[in-house]
Amino acid sequence: WTGSELKLEMEAEEVVDLIKALFAESDYRRKAIGAIRRATLRRYALSSLVNSLLHTKKPIPFEFLINGQFLRTSIDEFLTQNGISAESTLNVEYTRALIPPLHVASFEHDDWVSAVDVLSQTSPAGVWSGEHGIQSGQEQILTASYDGLLRVWNLSGDAIAISTPPYNSGRITSLKTAKWLSNKKIVAAGLDNVVRVYKYDEDTRAITQSLELYNHRWGVEDVAVHGPTNRILSASTDATISLFSATAKDSPAAPSTLLPTSTTASNKRQKLSKPEKSVPTRGALTTLSGHTAPASNVIFKPEDATVAYSASHDHTLRTWDLPTSTCVDTRTTSHSLLSLTALPKLNLLATGTSARHITLIDPRASATQIAVMTLRGHLNAVVSLDTNPNSEYGLVSASHDGTCRIWDVRSVKPNAGAMVDGGQVGESVYVVEREGMGGKSKASGDGVKVFGVRWDADVGIVSTGEDKRVQINRGVGERGGG
Amino acid sequence: NIDPELLLPKLPSPDELKPFPTTCAVVFRGHEGRVRSVSVDPQGTFLASGGDDGHVRIWELLTGRQVWNVRLSDEDAVDTVRWRPGKDASVLAAAAGEHIYLIVPFSILSPDIEQSSRDILDAGWGYAASKPSATTNGAPAKEPPARWSRPSTRLESKGVLVQTTVRSTVKVVHWHRRGEYFATVSPRGQSSAVAIHTLSKHLTQLPFRRLKGLAQSAQFHPSKPVFFVATKNSIRSYDLSRQELVKILQPGAKWISSFDVHPGGDNLIVGTYDKRLLWHDLDLSTKPYKTLRYHKEAIRAVRFHQGGLPLFADASDDGSLQIFHGKVVGDLMENATIVPLKVLRGHQVKSRLGVMDMDWHPREPWCVSAGADGTCRLWS
Ligand SMILES: [Mg+2]
Repeated sequence: WTGSELKLEMEAEEVVDLIKALFAESDYRRKAIGAIRRATLRRYALSSLVNSLLHTKKPIPFEFLINGQFLRTSIDEFLTQNGISAESTLNVEYTRALIPPLHVASFEHDDWVSAVDVLSQTSPAGVWSGEHGIQSGQEQILTASYDGLLRVWNLSGDAIAISTPPYNSGRITSLKTAKWLSNKKIVAAGLDNVVRVYKYDEDTRAITQSLELYNHRWGVEDVAVHGPTNRILSASTDATISLFSATAKDSPAAPSTLLPTSTTASNKRQKLSKPEKSVPTRGALTTLSGHTAPASNVIFKPEDATVAYSASHDHTLRTWDLPTSTCVDTRTTSHSLLSLTALPKLNLLATGTSARHITLIDPRASATQIAVMTLRGHLNAVVSLDTNPNSEYGLVSASHDGTCRIWDVRSVKPNAGAMVDGGQVGESVYVVEREGMGGKSKASGDGVKVFGVRWDADVGIVSTGEDKRVQINRGVGERGGG
Repeated sequence: NIDPELLLPKLPSPDELKPFPTTCAVVFRGHEGRVRSVSVDPQGTFLASGGDDGHVRIWELLTGRQVWNVRLSDEDAVDTVRWRPGKDASVLAAAAGEHIYLIVPFSILSPDIEQSSRDILDAGWGYAASKPSATTNGAPAKEPPARWSRPSTRLESKGVLVQTTVRSTVKVVHWHRRGEYFATVSPRGQSSAVAIHTLSKHLTQLPFRRLKGLAQSAQFHPSKPVFFVATKNSIRSYDLSRQELVKILQPGAKWISSFDVHPGGDNLIVGTYDKRLLWHDLDLSTKPYKTLRYHKEAIRAVRFHQGGLPLFADASDDGSLQIFHGKVVGDLMENATIVPLKVLRGHQVKSRLGVMDMDWHPREPWCVSAGADGTCRLWS
């Protein structure tokens, strides 16, 4: 028995003996023992039992895992569903329950909001910015919109800084992705194929372009950033991944055929809308080729920025060795892959599909199964994923069905049958609807699609969508929830 | 006593024939009035649509976001939109009234793709002037089959770069797979109903001066120099290099609305206004191998998947699309396996019109539809 983990590797009668030894005779003890003997204990009863055993002042909601899976029924039903004999020894663990993430705030935009990132003491960019980078309570939210603008928000809902649209010779400016590189630098990209680096000055409330990076022939769907090495990865509809430096002096010249000034017609339009001050243009350090259809997402491997993972509409998830620019592993699934996040402690990658589910893949060379697990429940494409900052088992997904779903990979659906790509089937713990839409999530996503989600330990679950809003949800009584 | 049922070949169940589209993933809103035509670009990223509001619109396929539009006409509907095949350039053909417009939607293109697309359209300027048609030799100059011209400045500023004007309203545009030729059909055009246009020469030819019956649709064979023309009751195939009739297919239909040739080239599906869908095996007979009657109203569009999946679909005025498995085997003696898979419902029927057109994604088991209800839909 430890403060954080209760392991009961014993038979029911042994637990009863233990409870008798630890607790004085009372009505409560009698009821608990009766429930254990009848094997009718459900999560709530177990939670009360553990709270009383731990002498907690305020009850903490606990979840129970039996042999690694969440208990969602009585123990008896669980044993029946999983075909476990009543005589066998169960491995029982308890864990603090996920708290329903309630709506905290929504900030309105003029147009669809495609992506969001959070700057906090615990966010990657916050950590890279050092201890004076960001103060508690001064967290900031970055959004990218189809109107072509970046906005930085404080938690009171004030848009404290807004970028100006780029000069790109009459091309579309809609943004698809944006990330904090540090507390003073932002990277963003979208349908005009250019990856842009911005300086952010909190004092003057200015977002100013500092570098334009050219390498893509079609729109950029996603960027990943790594502060310590100042590197940027971008995933494009042109099926390539680019590796850029965020610093002009480290970068080669931009490919001339991709510059807006490269063609007569384009150059003429560029002259008609000449910027006051020109922004330096550069090219990529390397291009990662191999995908045969649009690349939708790219991430650095957590804790090793020399490795990248990418997901593509070509159904594959690829592992790249960045120093040699080679694809070292390809995992082929059955569907277009639209989103990607890592569960580093479990050595898993989670990828969202056009076929409405999330596939968990072990990218290590030793793994033989295509999918370790499939998370089912969304009614439309899963287009954004992030990891629970408080639990190595948790993640959040955003879908065109108008919801975000919270998952714990230990929440397994019994008797769900084998998936096409193999593995177990998981089900979501909570569903977050769009606020103010009257619960109108719908399979077709008509008007309610969610496009981006981030889960920050300090701010909570921050999501954006077709409703032109960034929405914050958080477990009540806790910062960050979970 | 043998049960005759046992002698029939057993069809696989739809569950064994996944993947195929089952649900509406995106609704595209923005057209005013009917959407008459849809086309997915060769990359599978964008959807183009045209409709009664005279607009051509381009959308992000997966989000339903409108990213580009142009008003081609104040009076005429846009009857058809078709992307030019090939990924190195991005050219969209759209027809409104008797005009075919060739469009480079530069605002969603990189400068190099904009340039290669412009080059393809610009190559033919001046060709007609430098090489006068042989038929005008000595004789009084005849009216040319089509006029190739530059559209208005308003249209040019949006990327509408070429306007080809034929003699009567164009209802069908079909690109040859290499993107150098496109065919158009003007059902009321009589001797000029079917035209074949050569892009690099800005040249229009009328190969069928005496077509029997009202032309409905036309298409190039996917790999051979063969051209198919549908009239109200029959489909003729012509050898373009020998300039001779090859075959006359008799679907037994009262009125053909559309047809599509299987990517393998040996099978063909036909949709009819009299509610029937017919499968022809070109090796077997001039009569249909299979007749499918599932719709309550007219079928307006039929289309094979072009990206290697054994799927085809039709679109009907009853507001639904029907998805079929259609597996063609290499063996000449064996017939195709045809299994109905799914009815896709969602479009509203407006003034007795339902789904006006449909297209497949180039790779995925997804299709798009154009509705008389003013929406396009992606089904996945
Ligand atoms: Mg055959």
